[in-house]
Parts: sequence; structure tokens; C-alpha cells
Amino acid sequence: MNSAFYLAIRSLWWHRGRSLAVIFSLAVILWLPATLRISLNQFRSDISARADATPLIIGAPGSRIDLVMHGLYFRSQPAAPVTMAEQRLAAEVPGMTAIPLHVRFTTRSQPGVDGAPIIGTTPEYYAFRQLTPQTGELPALLGECVLGADYAARSGLRAGDTILSAPRNALNLAGDYPLQMLITGVLARTFSPDDDAVFTDLRTAWVIEGIGHGHQTVDPTTDSSLLLQNSRDGAAKVTAGIGVLPYLEITDENRDSFHFHGDPATFPLTAILAVPGTERDRLRLLGRFSGNRQLQCITPSQVIAELLSIVFRIEQLVLLFTLIAATAALLLLALVINLSLKLRAAEMQTMFRLGCSRLTILCLQTAEVLLLLLIASGLALIGGLLIRGSVAAMLQRLML
Amino acid sequence: MSGFTPPEPVGTAMIAISDLQFAWTDGPFRLQIPQLSIGAGEAVVVAGPSGCGKTTLLNLISGILLPAAGKVDVADTSISSLSDAARRLFRLRHIGLVFQDFQLLDYLDVLGNVLLPCRIQPAVRLTPELRERGLTLLQQVGLEKLVQRPVTRLSQGERQRVALCRALLLQPQLLLADEPTGNLDPENSRRMVDLLLQEARRSQATLVMVTHDHSLLPLFDRTLPFQQFLARTPTGTEGGVV
Repeated sequence: MNSAFYLAIRSLWWHRGRSLAVIFSLAVILWLPATLRISLNQFRSDISARADATPLIIGAPGSRIDLVMHGLYFRSQPAAPVTMAEQRLAAEVPGMTAIPLHVRFTTRSQPGVDGAPIIGTTPEYYAFRQLTPQTGELPALLGECVLGADYAARSGLRAGDTILSAPRNALNLAGDYPLQMLITGVLARTFSPDDDAVFTDLRTAWVIEGIGHGHQTVDPTTDSSLLLQNSRDGAAKVTAGIGVLPYLEITDENRDSFHFHGDPATFPLTAILAVPGTERDRLRLLGRFSGNRQLQCITPSQVIAELLSIVFRIEQLVLLFTLIAATAALLLLALVINLSLKLRAAEMQTMFRLGCSRLTILCLQTAEVLLLLLIASGLALIGGLLIRGSVAAMLQRLML
Repeated sequence: MSGFTPPEPVGTAMIAISDLQFAWTDGPFRLQIPQLSIGAGEAVVVAGPSGCGKTTLLNLISGILLPAAGKVDVADTSISSLSDAARRLFRLRHIGLVFQDFQLLDYLDVLGNVLLPCRIQPAVRLTPELRERGLTLLQQVGLEKLVQRPVTRLSQGERQRVALCRALLLQPQLLLADEPTGNLDPENSRRMVDLLLQEARRSQATLVMVTHDHSLLPLFDRTLPFQQFLARTPTGTEGGVV
């Protein structure tokens, strides 16, 4: 067999123009189904892995898929928020870690760089997702944030830089203001949606939402233009005008002036990740929320399995195309074999007359075709593997 | 066949044919050889015009074709009684073949073509000794500087010598040359035959060469009377004779 392959390689090299043409044709035919298959597997593996790693998600009633996509991928918005009260309710279950998520804002887009979702959460999230800083450190103070690796790479930002949040509605003057946050670090890459997000303290997210804020200190002697009313007895009683803006940046100097209005139990969250210590804890939580019409508690892996059943149907379609492509490839291969046999007929006759064994003649005839097929398949596979990440990401964008 | 007297072999018979009969199913050609013996070390020539069946005789001797009746012994081995696989192996090990247009493989270099017999049978492995023998043969025919040259860049004379080295690689006892001078001019024909005879004698191999060039016949020990082996067909057609 070694000799057959040696002769086949020499023959292919001698007829390299023809060989390259055949290899290229076969590779293209095989590349499309191979890429789709590899990418679908990658997509399935990616989304299943994250869903499997997330035991439960609690959120407002509505689309289960939307809630899972929100909790796992920070995409889509639940129909309504939940509150810190619900988070505390979940956390009361023994053995339960209830991680709040507030995902309503993004960073401001820059030319060529789309904004990333700003995830307001607690330190438990970093531990749960095993997120560690690649550079710098995790945010500790109000107004600090840490970047996911991909977002840091495409925005060019790093620890020590600042980043602005994007207002949800630029025309709403009474709404949320952009907040400038200090970047304390960049997370190590985890090949997950966390890589393309910005993480901050839950309270900072509430500041962006306008629930918490600080005020500029008004000096009646120097800031008279900011005063709406000043009492006759001097600075003891002043009324600030609308020119007094909430702070756009939280600094060491003004951090202490920040405060929150209202009952913290009513502060909004968009979802809660519930991580039970045991199966019993999980069932207990499910039981606690089963009759609750204000909330839904779902198992992400079940929802993703439903979603994947759609993918499976798409895959069946792909398989059909694959079969058509494979049929075309086989026809081409048959043509190649036929041409190869005709081209090598005189050579085979010489081999036979010299005393070549039947097996070797068979090997000689098939080795060349096998090599062509192997090289073309290899190229198709490499091509598929090289772009599987991109295609899988594209599938995620399309489907999630 | 009446009127045919078998020639006397020089030494021990390398080829012994008796009562051989062969016919193509789709043509009038028939070959009948009651008795033929070619001695070891003998150099004989089979002469006749193109298409008269000389190659068929070589194919019968080498086991490429099997006779309808009769017996072909080569080096005391009954070729026709061997299995197909054994016959192929026997041919490779004991018979060196030189073809009319040499049948070299374009995609192999000179040494690759010479070593080809070691790449077509699992039972015959390419060893360092065989590689060395291939190089020695090329040196003997003056091609030692061209071992890595593609055969497509060789002259006709150089190609002849490569084909001969390939035939001699496994030290065959019998060398069958099928019109090796068929496409050559008289000067190159003479050189080719001289080379064949010289190398056959050097390796003490029996040489059977087929040719339609009568000017080469005196160079051989003897000429087989091929026309006497051709039988009249049932339809009355007679094969070509010299």
C-alpha cells in the first residue's frame, strides 16, 4: 500500500495542475455541507453548555425563550422587570444563591464599535461564571466597571480608561443620563456572551437608570445662575434651578453624594439567576414559585432543548442539501475515477505485464482517487473549522 | 508441425514448450508449437512482420497468456500450472521484460523507473541492496549522472537503457524483449541490441528478442523459425509469415 501511495503521490505531483483542479472542485463541494454541519454542532454545543451551566432563571411572566435569551445571552428584554424583593425571596430558600441581573442599558456606540450590554450584578455572578480579571481587577466601588475580553479587544479600551453608557432615549430629557464609568479591568476570555459585555455593580446600573444619583453642590455666591430662588438671609435656604445637573461621572470626590430614593426592595432587576446547592434546593425553589403568577422560574436547558428542536429541523434541511451536494460530489468523483483509469490504462497494462499483483493494481487505481478525496475533504474540514466560530456566532445572532 | 526440427539448446533448457496450442477467439490466428527449447544463456531472436503473433509467443512464455493446450516451462517451472498470483510473481522475479516503446512512467525519475519492479508486488520489497543494484546498473549503462532526471527529459537512447536496467533489476534468468528496436533508427537499433546482448551475457540471462528487422538477426545465437509455428486456421486463413 505504501508503494501505491508513493506512486499515486508522484503521479498527482506530476499532473499537479489537473490534481489541483480536481481537489479544488471536490473541496468546494464538500466544504459547504461540512461547514454547516460543523457550525451547527458548534452552535448547539455553545448554547447547550451555557444553558446546562445555568440551573434556573427567575423573571417576569412572558416568553420563556425571551427570558432565557436575556438571562444567558443578555439579548431581548423581558416583558416586565422583577424586583429585589423577589431576589430576596429566592435567596431565602436554603442553599440557594440568587444572583440579580440588571441588563437594560448598553455602552455608547463608537464609530465601528457597537455598544455592549451593561450587566449590573453582584460579585456572586463572577464566581458563578468563573470570570476572573485578565488585567486589572473587578469593580469594587460605585461607578466602576470591568470589560469582557472581546469587547475590550474591539473597543481598544483597557483598565484606567472610562466608558459612557448610552441613554435609552436621547430625546427624553427627564430620563436616564449617560454615566461615565471607570474601567477597573478586563476579564479573561471565556468564549461566552460574557466576553462581549460590560459588568458593573448593581447600584451603578440603578444610577444609570436614574434611581440613584448625586447632586452638584450649589454655592449661592458663585453659582447664582443655577439658583431658582435665594432667601433673604443668605445661603441658608436656596432653591436650585434646572441648570443643576445630576452628576455624569462618579468620582472619589462626589461618590459619597450618591444616594437612592425609594424602598430598595422595589428596585428593578431584569432577571435572577438561581443556583441551588442541591437538587432538593432546586425543587424547593421551583415549588415556591410554581403558583406565583407574578413570576416564572424556568430551567434554561429545557427551553434551549425546545429551541434546538427547531435547529434540528433546520439541520434536516441542511442534510437534504448535503445529500444533493454529496450526490454531485460522487458523480464528479466517478468522472474523476473514470478519467484517471483511462489516463493510466497504459501504465496499468505495463504494471500487469511486469508482474504486478492484482491487489497492487487495485491499490494503484484507488490510491490516487483516495488521495484526491482525502486532501479535498481535509481542506473542506479545515475551511469549515476555521470559520465555524463566525458561522456559529452568526447563527446565534439569527436565532437568539 | 511437420517439417520443423527443434533447434538444439545451448545448455540446460531455460524455456521448454511442448504441444502448445493457442488461438484468439475473435480471429483466425492460431499458434501451434509441438516442441521448442531455448537453452540457458542463449540469445535467440524471433523474427517476423508486425502483427504476425510474435508478441503472443512472448506473452505465452511469460505467462501473460495461457495456452489452450500444451505446456510451457520456464526455468523448470510449469508456467501454465501456476495460479494467476503465482504466475505474476514468477514473471516479476524470473523474467525481465523490455517493451517496444519502453513503457517508462513519466512521473518517475530515472531511478524510480528502474526500481519500479520493487513497488508493484508486496512480496518484492525495495531494499537498500536493490537500490544499490539499480544504481550499479545505471552506472553500467552510463546513466549514473541522470538518476534523478525525469524520463521525459531523456533521449531515446537513454530511455532504452533505463528500460533495460528496469528489466535487469531483479536479476532475471530470462530476458524477453518485445520489439525494443521498433521505433528506432538503424544506428540506435544496433546500439540497443548490442546493449541487450551485452547485459544479458553479463547477467548470464537467456535473451529472447522479437523483431521485424532482419538486419539484426546475425547478432543472435539463432533465429526461431516463427512461421512454422503458425497454423492454418479452420477458415483457411494463414497467419503472417516471414
